[in-house]
Amino acid sequence: MSTAFASTELRSPVDPMLPRLATIQGVKPEAYGISTFSMSFVDADERAAFRFQPGQFNMLYLPGYGEVAISLCSDPATPQMLGHTVRYAGSVTRAIGRLKPGDTLGVRGPYGSHWPLNSQAGTNLVIVAGGIGLAPLRPVVLSVLRRRDYYGRVLLLYGARTPADLLYTGEFDAWREGGIDVHVTVDLADENWKGQVGVVPQLFYRIRVDHKNTVVLTCGPEIMMRFVIYEALARRIPKEAIYLSMERNMKCAVGFCGHCQFGPTFICKQGPVLNFAAIEPFFGKEDF
Amino acid sequence: MPEQTHWFGSFLSHLSPRVQEKVLALGEAFHYSEGTTIFHEGDPSLYLYIVKSGQVAIDVHVPSKGRRSIMTAGPGDLFSWSALVEPRIETAAARAVEETEALGIKGGALMDLCREDTGLGFEVYHELAEVISARLIATRLQLLDVFA
Amino acid sequence: MPPNLPRVSASVAMPKPALQQVFDNLRTAGFLLIGPTVRDGAIVLDEIERLHDLPFGWTDQQEPGRYRLKKVPDREAQYFGFSVGPHSWKQFLHPPRLRLFSGEKNNGSWVFRAPQEPAPHYAFIGVHGCDLAAIAIQDRVLIGSEFRDPHYAARRENVFTLAVNCGQASSSCFCASMKTGPKAAAGFDLAMTELPDIFLVEIGSEAGSEMMREAPWEAATAFDLGRASRVLQRAEKQIARQMQTDDLPDVLYEHLEDAHWDEVGARCLSCANCTLVCPTCFCTTVEDTSNLRGTAAERVRVADSCFNRDFSHVHGGNIRPTIKSRYRQWLSHKLASWIDQFGTSGCVGCGRCITWCPVGIEINEEVNSIRAKAAK
Repeated sequence: MSTAFASTELRSPVDPMLPRLATIQGVKPEAYGISTFSMSFVDADERAAFRFQPGQFNMLYLPGYGEVAISLCSDPATPQMLGHTVRYAGSVTRAIGRLKPGDTLGVRGPYGSHWPLNSQAGTNLVIVAGGIGLAPLRPVVLSVLRRRDYYGRVLLLYGARTPADLLYTGEFDAWREGGIDVHVTVDLADENWKGQVGVVPQLFYRIRVDHKNTVVLTCGPEIMMRFVIYEALARRIPKEAIYLSMERNMKCAVGFCGHCQFGPTFICKQGPVLNFAAIEPFFGKEDF
Repeated sequence: MPEQTHWFGSFLSHLSPRVQEKVLALGEAFHYSEGTTIFHEGDPSLYLYIVKSGQVAIDVHVPSKGRRSIMTAGPGDLFSWSALVEPRIETAAARAVEETEALGIKGGALMDLCREDTGLGFEVYHELAEVISARLIATRLQLLDVFA
Repeated sequence: MPPNLPRVSASVAMPKPALQQVFDNLRTAGFLLIGPTVRDGAIVLDEIERLHDLPFGWTDQQEPGRYRLKKVPDREAQYFGFSVGPHSWKQFLHPPRLRLFSGEKNNGSWVFRAPQEPAPHYAFIGVHGCDLAAIAIQDRVLIGSEFRDPHYAARRENVFTLAVNCGQASSSCFCASMKTGPKAAAGFDLAMTELPDIFLVEIGSEAGSEMMREAPWEAATAFDLGRASRVLQRAEKQIARQMQTDDLPDVLYEHLEDAHWDEVGARCLSCANCTLVCPTCFCTTVEDTSNLRGTAAERVRVADSCFNRDFSHVHGGNIRPTIKSRYRQWLSHKLASWIDQFGTSGCVGCGRCITWCPVGIEINEEVNSIRAKAAK
């Protein structure tokens, strides 16, 4: 928690703009308009050499359509198979949505900074995710489960618009059994939903935190993260102990195209995982 | 002096001991089995409820769309503040999502007490304003439909 | 005439027609000469071969939103008697259109290939001090950061720089404030000061020395050096525009929501001229195309501008939907964030953005306005 920015370990591919070929191994629908694509590099050496840290992303390339930055959502301990949860929002993501097992696409990466998972032993983690924001945090959950004893209390606060929009619901029980306190809410529900209704920041009212020894990791719509941060600060969690994952337009992912800048921060290089204390002067400024 | 219990939530626990004691004295224990409708929209609002255990959904019925839950109240949460705000009519329905125990504070009696004892009145409405304010901020976020 | 080549760091005097020998040496060595030439009422950068391709006898008059060429009386005519035009050297080092790779679908599987064309060997003729500094700034961005742009690197490695020290300044120039001119300070192979009878040539590198082969040069006399020094002083005196930089980046960082941004936002047309003419602006975008059958695809890198409305597009809309927010982004990047990102200002004081802005927005005045409101 002493560094201004979340740690950045960058690997520079040989030719930074040339995609590597990967094959789709599986497609799993998660929610309406959202699926998780598992893929692996075609080249055996690339498959064996690829490593990533939770929070990093790849650029997925559909020839003729374009590229899109998608976080890795799979287990960093098994990097031979890469997972990306994709929401169909534009022409490139919709084209990805038409891919089937066996199809090939271009992959460049991994890029960006990662979630800090090596604070002092016994640190409590509060993971706060909204909507598809859970995807870049899933590798955190999987990594934590592998060495649960290293951490203190680990909580996951997660919400989506409606119950049908929740991701990875089939895994929550396993996560609870692994020692993660999972709280789920939705913005809107009908009478069939037996869980909580309310926005994600409200989940802070369900929990107690030790502000002296807790790190908050959050990802979701920027306005949600803004209110999550308010709740965390209201509970006296220090700014330096709050990390968020930000999103901006990305064309190159290597700091050349200029599109992803947020003040002096290149979201593709110093981000997407950022320490709140480092970006506080710019965060929340309108149209910035 | 009544004990602070974990389910008090911010409304009760922020009251001074004197006021808290007087408010709790107006309380009645309620128990609801899963699925029970606690009150309907439009019912006279008789009680201010604080959930002790379980979960209560606040529902609004939308014609042609059915019942929508817009909020759930868990242990420590307050619902049905309409009991302290004129015209004291429920503005939504409440339903026990699971087996629920709640403390109900008689609204009419509490309002009378607030008028007689203005010091107590200030504390009660002050804490109520805080609860409603936090609820409003959360509702704004819901309105913005950020996941759309 | 000494038969050997001049030493690196030496200053030599050369009769002006002998510059053609330097040009010929460069061409023989395989360089493509790029230099200033008159076209369409402006002094632009293009391929040149002979001395008479240069804008001999021309000067420029620049003001906010105004650029005109003017012929000077014959007895004052010079080869390099002008300030910078709309072009900068970035179009050669960081081309506005570049094919990154192409792809082919064979048996259902894609193969991607990067182009193998060799990079050109450019000789940049007549680089002003501000532009030398701009090249160094783009070096930091594109080959001096965490990642390395191989296309820029390949072109940059091969560049020969023949700089000129300015003898005049336009009203837009403020290189002195940004410490980039009028003297071409470093990073050149040869740097020349034009005097009525000679070029005073400073040898900046071995490569520069090589290109003086067979040119009739002599060691510079004290008189020559004195005259050259006065030319530079004349240029310095003509610089009227100033930009205060000691409170950057903070004065901008701390006033990102000042009302002044609304005022300049109302004047700015978001036309992107400033980013096109700015020698350090580097933003690009990509165009992905394929053939009709979907069996061949191509990715082309294209110059872009933060003033373009969709520059900041994320799903759901643009982060910077207003002109005001985009102007703020450009100015605060150029003068503030750039410092945190790359260790120097992004601005070299060339004045192009002032001259080529259709509504005459002056970058230094905008900072002054923010500063003045901040002081209140």
